Amino acid sequence: MAKNTANMSAEDLSYYYNRKVKRKNQISSIIRYTVLIVVGIFMVYPLLWMVGATFKENSEIFAGLNIIPRHPTLEGYQNAVKSYGGNINIWKALFNTFCIVIPKVIFTLVSATLTAYGFGRFNFVGKKILYPIMISTLFLPQVVLNVPQYILYNRLGWVGSPLYLPLIVPSLFACDTYFIFMLVQFLHNVPHELEEAAKIDGCNVVQTLVKVVVPMLMPALISCALFQFMWSSNDFMGPLLYVNTPAKYPASYFVKLSMDSDAGFSWNRVLATSLISIIPSIVIFFLAQDQFVEGISAGGVKG
Amino acid sequence: MKKWAKSNIGFFFIIPWLIGFLIFKLYPFGSSLVYSFTDYNLFKGIKETGLMNYIAVFEKRQYREALIITFKYAFMTVPLKLVVALFVAYILNFKLKGVNLFRTAYYIPSILGGSVAISVLWRALFKDDGLIQQMIRMLGGNPPSFMTDPNWALFIICLLRVWQFGSTMVIFLAALKGVPEDLYEAASLDGAGKWRQFFSITIPLITPVIFYNLITQLVQAFQEFNGPFIITNGGPRGKTTLMSILIYNAAFQKYDMGLASAMAWVLFVILVFFTAISFWSQKHWVYYADEE
Amino acid sequence: MKMKKIVGFGIASVMALTMAMGFTAAAADYEECTLKFAWWGGDSRHEVTQQAVNAFMEKYPGINVEVNFGAWSDWESARALEFQSGTAADVNQINLSWIDEFDSNGDVFLDLNTVSDTLDLTQWDEAYLDMMKDQTGQLAGVPVSMTGRVFYWDKTTFDEAGLEVPTSLAELREAGKVFQEKLGDDYYPLALGEFDRMILMTFYLQAKYEKPILADGTVNMTVEELQDGLDFIMSLEADHVIPSIVTIDGDAAASLDQNPKFIDGKYAGILEWDSAPKKYMSALSEGRELVVGDEFTDFGENGKTGVFTKVSLGFAISTTSEHPKEAAMLINYLCNDPEGVAIMASERGIPESKAAYAVLEEAGSLDPVIAEAHSKVMAASEYPEVPVFESNDLKGSEGTYRYVFGGLSYDEFDTEEGAEELYNGMVDACEG
Repeated sequence: MAKNTANMSAEDLSYYYNRKVKRKNQISSIIRYTVLIVVGIFMVYPLLWMVGATFKENSEIFAGLNIIPRHPTLEGYQNAVKSYGGNINIWKALFNTFCIVIPKVIFTLVSATLTAYGFGRFNFVGKKILYPIMISTLFLPQVVLNVPQYILYNRLGWVGSPLYLPLIVPSLFACDTYFIFMLVQFLHNVPHELEEAAKIDGCNVVQTLVKVVVPMLMPALISCALFQFMWSSNDFMGPLLYVNTPAKYPASYFVKLSMDSDAGFSWNRVLATSLISIIPSIVIFFLAQDQFVEGISAGGVKG
Repeated sequence: MKKWAKSNIGFFFIIPWLIGFLIFKLYPFGSSLVYSFTDYNLFKGIKETGLMNYIAVFEKRQYREALIITFKYAFMTVPLKLVVALFVAYILNFKLKGVNLFRTAYYIPSILGGSVAISVLWRALFKDDGLIQQMIRMLGGNPPSFMTDPNWALFIICLLRVWQFGSTMVIFLAALKGVPEDLYEAASLDGAGKWRQFFSITIPLITPVIFYNLITQLVQAFQEFNGPFIITNGGPRGKTTLMSILIYNAAFQKYDMGLASAMAWVLFVILVFFTAISFWSQKHWVYYADEE
Repeated sequence: MKMKKIVGFGIASVMALTMAMGFTAAAADYEECTLKFAWWGGDSRHEVTQQAVNAFMEKYPGINVEVNFGAWSDWESARALEFQSGTAADVNQINLSWIDEFDSNGDVFLDLNTVSDTLDLTQWDEAYLDMMKDQTGQLAGVPVSMTGRVFYWDKTTFDEAGLEVPTSLAELREAGKVFQEKLGDDYYPLALGEFDRMILMTFYLQAKYEKPILADGTVNMTVEELQDGLDFIMSLEADHVIPSIVTIDGDAAASLDQNPKFIDGKYAGILEWDSAPKKYMSALSEGRELVVGDEFTDFGENGKTGVFTKVSLGFAISTTSEHPKEAAMLINYLCNDPEGVAIMASERGIPESKAAYAVLEEAGSLDPVIAEAHSKVMAASEYPEVPVFESNDLKGSEGTYRYVFGGLSYDEFDTEEGAEELYNGMVDACEG
């Protein structure tokens, strides 16, 4: 009996304890959501404002921070889809962007993974010198490289190339140091044991890379892909220097086509084209995050 | 030969990078270093060589000031952005309903980057009689003039950068996924609360990624261009003129490649210095799972 | 130098002349080839120019013109790299400063005198062609249009204040007082950024001392005279005629047309290019009316205006072009051929080519406001602008103008020190 009551009270206790935890959890999730929503408003407001502003008239755009337009107009969108002498319009420009960005993302992922694997996992002659050199390529601002790079691509005959060679080819050779460095750092969190196991199973280094390391790096690889997609889509200077036929302009260039500071221009049109041009980045991020957040089971170590 | 290949197998993986480096990077880097010791103007050629650009960078009031402002900017934004990004990533890593929407929302400022919308909005927020000033007045305060007070102007530029923490957050999120869940389970059995878990398990395990973000944020802060360019245009009175703006103007408004390159190489040396310190400090705080 | 527009002779004769010229050009033999043509601008310019290019290709079958166009931002950087490495388009729309900056040795832009049998140079005033000459004396381009600064007033605000729009400095000063009393501290009859201040000060100095501010590659004013100019500008600030730079910085607008105080009429006047009114008109909130003002003649004692004008943009042929003759045909079509001119209209300002002007005036296709502003500027113009006036060392965001005029408004130094700074900055820029 005594044992029984003791048991009962213990159960009771745990019942109360659980309820308390539950309530505590409820309160903490309310707090969490409140914080998330308040901060979220600060983060999304510019986008909402931008959406609103695409329906405003010029004079209202600078009038204040309100989202709802006073005199809504579709002019911005009507002008946004207009084409320039039939050569280029926003849809074609978006298509051009993808023609640059998609190969670039793929090439970057492959080349950066190989390089990061080489630097992160092996010792070899010259690594002690080459690694710091690689990191230091981050340190020089692009502006001062533009001139010699242009001279170089010009000698290679790539300027104005319809295949966007100057924009795409470097990514085949892991020229974006940010991604190599990132993958190297992520590799540090992957324990050696898995690769040892793969080796014992008879995998060679390449198979180990593909079957063991790449799945472990998935979250990092997805981030690389997202960033490369976003940065390359936004890149304006590259296309300006190396693309010089209207039919080949990407969206980042197209968006700015109408912005003549002398004659003035319609802001709603500019904002509408910018909005259309960033939608792919937003959608891709929304879809991709599942992949990298839920994609691998806890730590993946079980694999 | 075969033996060499076997013990240096990693070398083969970096060959693409090495080729890319030799073809696409070495020449531009080398040229800019050479230019920095000349008065190379894109259209007037080289008339003089020597250290004059470097002397100018340290002697001329404008450049010295920009250097100091750049330091201030970097040391304000880097820690703040890292803390904010990590904190938000930690929260967004919980399994919450609708978390996908929040993640996307928090990433949006990064996607907007230096766009027109950001520039218009930030100006509208911080101008005289703008929203922020009105709010402070409503609360009974006496607001400063954000755009004309040098310290405040720099501060709002910093704020913009911190606000665009999305990319850093994404990297942290990816890293948080790598922390095995059984470690948390073990810790909560031991009675460790969420905060203790965060500091004793999460942080140590993601130090390599914190390190990555630290270095890249440092680099980006020293090379920041967009914020001041779209919001203050370097003003008031040049108090938000960062080095990168001077470099840009020297290179692409005056075509003075010599001066631009010299300023860029001064930045380069500064970054080498800080990165070297960071790399050296790693052994005290960065935990690498793949080392014994 | 006299810069009054010469439209004295019969339009019919001009028409006949250009028709004949168009005819000879069409009959002239040319090679089949592909030309590249690059320009910057906004929507309507892109559209119109492409139409003109298509019409050109129709008229001269066998010549294929590829185009490249964009907005001004960073356009110059990209073209600079092209000129430097010899990959530039055959025909380029150029900024006047490019001649000094890119072509100081005369090896970037072709001497257009060498194609004068294809490109009819007689359509331009000798004086304007002179402005397009590089340091070696070659003709680097043709001036498409001229431009200068003129006042635009928000008539609605002046009506509210019970005033006519000012036609003289004295009236403007008076308006400053009335605005403050009647409308409030926020209202100013005129708003000037740093560079605008420099321009108004130059008008003032050139009118008062009756000499150009820059001449023969040197500063043509003494430090004392410059200080007088700065005092003049600061007196406008003190009299509530113009808002201080601190106020404008506090407005946090990228430019006046994005400034709500201008949009809503609190800043009721600007000093802008004659080609720019549309931008400001479309910026104003509904119901507000912007009118072109008169240049002032009461800066000095002898009724001078001090106004100066410059070539707003030109067309040039690259020395690397393999088909200079065909390139010249294209320029001639765009500037002088009645057919091309009619399509191009005033998209690049009121055209300077006599043939083009005649055709457009006849057809009534000149924008009335721009035409009014342009004729006021050109009638008042007393001096040509020297390119160094807008060099980056002076006009750029870290340039002398911003430093000096901002420094005075922020009370960092007085006009004596400001004049010293300005003088030295200008001397440095001249020595460049």
